[in-house]
Amino acid sequence: MSTTVAALIDRARAAFEALATTAEPVSDEFQYLADLETVWGARLKAVSDARGTEPAPIGAEAALEALEAEAAAITDPHRAIDWMSTLPQVALAALGEAA
Amino acid sequence: MQFMEARPDGRAVVYAHIQADPLVLRAADLLAAGTTTQRLLARAVMNGESADPVHWRAMFPTLFGAGAPAVGDPVRERSEAILAASLEVADRGEQTRSQFRGAIVEALTERLLAQRTAPVRRERRILFDGKPAEIHPYDVTVERDGAGEAWDCKWGARGIKADVLHQLDDARRGATDEGGKLLVGLVVFDARRSCEVRLVREKGPVALEGLKLIALEGLDRLAGRKPS
Repeated sequence: MSTTVAALIDRARAAFEALATTAEPVSDEFQYLADLETVWGARLKAVSDARGTEPAPIGAEAALEALEAEAAAITDPHRAIDWMSTLPQVALAALGEAA
Repeated sequence: MQFMEARPDGRAVVYAHIQADPLVLRAADLLAAGTTTQRLLARAVMNGESADPVHWRAMFPTLFGAGAPAVGDPVRERSEAILAASLEVADRGEQTRSQFRGAIVEALTERLLAQRTAPVRRERRILFDGKPAEIHPYDVTVERDGAGEAWDCKWGARGIKADVLHQLDDARRGATDEGGKLLVGLVVFDARRSCEVRLVREKGPVALEGLKLIALEGLDRLAGRKPS
């Protein structure tokens, strides 16, 4: 049975949270990190609310696996901040959504 | 209002070599013809950790997956070429890749603007009443009579800082004070959503109505067309 859009959004949000933890040492970007969590969290939730029960598009689950692996490989806090902007965009593209 | 050549300092001399690097020019050419998702691929790879193209192809199923254009299709070939060029940039090491990324965004901006208007120049100062309005040159300018433009280019939303916004706003107000008009803006190779939250926090007294923001999803607007 194929996975749902909601399940993949949950995984994207978990990977996003992991990046936020990696980025935490950059204390002078605290506000920006909080802002990113607010706006991207809301965008991902909106997609989950609207399409959560749909089967995920072909290839989206493998895309999320690759995204999770990439997020887990990032140890530099500054790069993690950059990826907090990129990861949601890539996840949304895999799900056929605009950013 | 008068555009003029910036006097190169030591940093500019070094950076000029990067701006002229064939990899920068190739990446900019590819991205100028690319789609939003192809540009997103470039951002992810150039900022990524993995050097394995298989990993990146899996991450972008709409470009490389079962429903993507077939191998041999020009769009698919461009995706592959963008992936290859982006991996080359990522392979340059942290400091060098950062300079390459910045130079690519500038070269991409130059190419897209040139599809809409002319003349388009790089690294230029703007003088008002004979005095320069800023310390640093503008990355890309359109020097057309009555329809001038000044653009600052950033790889990511974190490059949006108060001093950058002030410099652009000063130029816009300088042109207005002379009875002229200058379009000023930021080109940011990052998600619009991230740029907007950054902009609001950094704007200070700058009126955002006078500042154009072109983010990754809207780059084609520089060329006068709708995003692809």
